[in-house]
Amino acid sequence: MKISRIISIAWENMKQRRLRTSFTTLGVVIGITAIIGLASLGEGFRLEIRDRMQQGFELDILIVIPGSFTTGLGEFEPQEVSRVRNVSGAASVTPLITLPRTRLLNEEDEPLNALTVAGVNFKEMAQMLPERLAPLEGSVPSPEENNTVVLGYKACFLNESTRLVNVGDNVTVQFGAAPYNVTKKLKVAAILEKSGTSGITNFDYWAFMPANTTFNLVKREVYNIILVKVADIEESEEVGRNVEAVFDNPYSVSVLVPLAFMRQVDRILNIVQIFLMSIASISLLVAGIGIMNIMTVSVMERTREIGILKAIGAKSRTVLTMFLAEAMLIGLIGGLIGMLTGYGISYGFAYGLSNLIQSQQSSEVAYRTQNPERLSINPVFSPEWTVIAFVFAIVICVVFGLYPARKAAKLDPVNALRYE
Amino acid sequence: MAKILEVREVQKSYQIGKIVVPALRGVSFDVEEGEVLAIFGPSGSGKSTLLHLMGGLDRPDSGEIVVDGDSLQKLPDDALAELRLSKIGFVFQFFNLLPRLTALRNVELPLTIAGTPEKQGLEKAASLLKLMGLEARMHHRPFELSGGEQQRVAMARALVNNPKIVLADEPTGNLDTKTGWEIVQLMQKLNKEKGQTFVIITHDPHVAETADRMIFLKDGLVEAVKEAPRRNTQ
Repeated sequence: MKISRIISIAWENMKQRRLRTSFTTLGVVIGITAIIGLASLGEGFRLEIRDRMQQGFELDILIVIPGSFTTGLGEFEPQEVSRVRNVSGAASVTPLITLPRTRLLNEEDEPLNALTVAGVNFKEMAQMLPERLAPLEGSVPSPEENNTVVLGYKACFLNESTRLVNVGDNVTVQFGAAPYNVTKKLKVAAILEKSGTSGITNFDYWAFMPANTTFNLVKREVYNIILVKVADIEESEEVGRNVEAVFDNPYSVSVLVPLAFMRQVDRILNIVQIFLMSIASISLLVAGIGIMNIMTVSVMERTREIGILKAIGAKSRTVLTMFLAEAMLIGLIGGLIGMLTGYGISYGFAYGLSNLIQSQQSSEVAYRTQNPERLSINPVFSPEWTVIAFVFAIVICVVFGLYPARKAAKLDPVNALRYE
Repeated sequence: MAKILEVREVQKSYQIGKIVVPALRGVSFDVEEGEVLAIFGPSGSGKSTLLHLMGGLDRPDSGEIVVDGDSLQKLPDDALAELRLSKIGFVFQFFNLLPRLTALRNVELPLTIAGTPEKQGLEKAASLLKLMGLEARMHHRPFELSGGEQQRVAMARALVNNPKIVLADEPTGNLDTKTGWEIVQLMQKLNKEKGQTFVIITHDPHVAETADRMIFLKDGLVEAVKEAPRRNTQ
């Protein structure tokens, strides 16, 4: 018997029992909707988090710090910095020194909102992070212009309306604890644009001065951060290892590789997603059991019909295929509808969730950022997951249809014909 | 005339609970090609069991059944199905039509199973229904047909694959006398005009007497074989 005829007969059978078929199919629809919905929302959520993190980190910049969390933090000597500059895979390198216990005061002796004060090479920094060091007012000074300071946007404000300092003003830097502190007058050369994002390269609360000015304050030429921009982002981890290799003692340096961190987070999100989807798959299993149940009843009801088919010459295999075709069609239709409802539901959910997140977020970020970048989740439909879910639906239906179909195929024709 | 079906020392018993009930206790006879053979006997004599065995729906405990040269014992289940499809036509007391299919589709069903292209199958089915006088009823479903009409559809279905032999199990048993008689006449006509071999199982002596030969079955044994001059049914 031709398979196309078997399928068309199966289809006719299902049409005859429309209500029952619809309910059986509904189980599959729910299962596939859950899987597709969770897959696409999970994927959208993952991409959103990745985007967020990429905004916080400059992914191509490695942060090298002296020492480690276990041995305590140290300092970099200039010759160590030079060795890092020659590491293969590094596109550009710039060292920083951040000053502890340092305050900046405006002309009225009010402290500025500068939480971190750092000595940098302005030229190298501006090349490495042009967007982060874009001046809103004034201009970033050349490395030779000592006794100048560049302020992050929020360092200049006490709150939204009270400005503490302007370009051209003098500020006093107080370094060290009183009464041994050193003071120095600096001129504000530039105020930076608001960066808005969170993360370690948000310089809104920073104050930068030329490295030489810093060395005068600390009386030595040392650094405590080296930023390494990698030539190829995919080689971040390798460049990180190259940097570590420059130092004799592996404990004397820690290299933070944002990409590695990102990948780890990505991996965790992936696991969470797979976990959620396996829960969704359970609903499909339940649907499968529903199919088995309904089909077993159906085989009993159609016993006489099966007996007739066998009497007029249908082989057991033909009867088996006929019932499996019904199961397969349920999977096919359920899968198709489930795909559509899954897409629809994930858009609905994404819309609702984004609104919820935004309403919670807006109160928090209104003050901090001018244009709050709101978290929004957009479902992402991967063709792979769609195909997998679809095939899974059919496989589940056929597997669970196997038992009733075999029951039908094995019916003894004489007994089946006698069945009332 | 060639033997189309041979039954040799066939025994069959059923187990009902702990009791073994013998249905057939060593039955032997032949069916000649082109004849109408009636198997006649009271209920419980083993007639239906015999028909199931002859049609390859069931297997005997012992003995041999040969259909058109094939010994059924040696055939696996799939080959038995194949044999039922190509060489045997069944007509049942309760018609056994598929309720959701039209008369035409019911008749076409064996051709569908055989893999005949749909168009060709429907043409063949339609021509047989025409032969049965059901031209106007082709697209009706069984519940829209009278008993006699249903039995004629069943007859068309039995004939659609050009079987060597048609096995009819009480074909008049569920019909009134007049309609039953029409079915008997139809079988006689098909036998005369097309040489179709029929084995008719019946407990009705009037039906049995229309056959070329009559086998009396009683308590699972052949009690008598009677060659009857065929009654004129025209």
